[in-house]
Amino acid sequence: MTAPAPEVLLTMPARPEGVGVVRQALAGMADALDFDPTVLADMKMAVTEACTNVVVHAYDEDAGMLEVEMLADETGLTIVVRDHGAGIQPRPARSEAPALGLGLPLIAALSDAFELRGSTGQGTEVRMTFAYSRASDPAEANPVTGNIGAEGRWDPDAESPA
Amino acid sequence: MHARMDANPIVLDETAGDVVVVVVEGEHDIYTAPTLRERLDEALGRGGGIVVDLTAATFVDSSVLGALLDARRRAIEAGQGYVVCVGDSVEPGVQRILDITGLVPVLPVLQGREEAITAVRSTNGASE
Repeated sequence: MTAPAPEVLLTMPARPEGVGVVRQALAGMADALDFDPTVLADMKMAVTEACTNVVVHAYDEDAGMLEVEMLADETGLTIVVRDHGAGIQPRPARSEAPALGLGLPLIAALSDAFELRGSTGQGTEVRMTFAYSRASDPAEANPVTGNIGAEGRWDPDAESPA
Repeated sequence: MHARMDANPIVLDETAGDVVVVVVEGEHDIYTAPTLRERLDEALGRGGGIVVDLTAATFVDSSVLGALLDARRRAIEAGQGYVVCVGDSVEPGVQRILDITGLVPVLPVLQGREEAITAVRSTNGASE
């Protein structure tokens, strides 16, 4: 089984200042592929959230890398955001302020397809696909539910703000 | 990275006299969220209520929403009015996250800075 080679592969230290650099590269790629501006906006948001998860959750110290692959095919653009850190875990490994916990719900709502892979100690991979032509708004199929909960974290079951 | 900071300023506008307007321009994410938290802290310290103006913001992520929601909670606890405002046309990178999170009525988000300042004045001193 061979995967297609990425058309863009970015590797950089998993630090906050890198997330905007990824958005810039993504905007260039999407522009070349003639994406609708509303889909580009969703792409930027979802990829930002995935990269932020890496920066906040993946590594205990500033030692780890953030990898972003972009692969275009006939139907759309797939973006893979990967780390080699601690694996999927709910609480931040490092954070100046507590994370809101909205990252994955946003990625699910904004992407046309989304897959999360990872295990403890093996790193995490978020794979998001954005279609050139959307039949419907993915946020209708995967709406963000909940509201702001106690302690400033998102509560997916809350109907009104705490 | 100074160029990026300059291109995406967050400044306090205190010309309203009582209400402090935190003006957020450009793209904001986990990199600038600590600066936003500092500015919101400063504004809370003035005690006259807060408007966060996103009119010139082109992109905000969940790190920014986290900062805005924390400031909202603290403003409510302190009895200060707190409103986020946008302009007549809102960038997709701002509108979309506000829409799909359902936070427009929560923050709340109003259209126009003057309307927001008026709303903050009307809620200043109101207790939770």
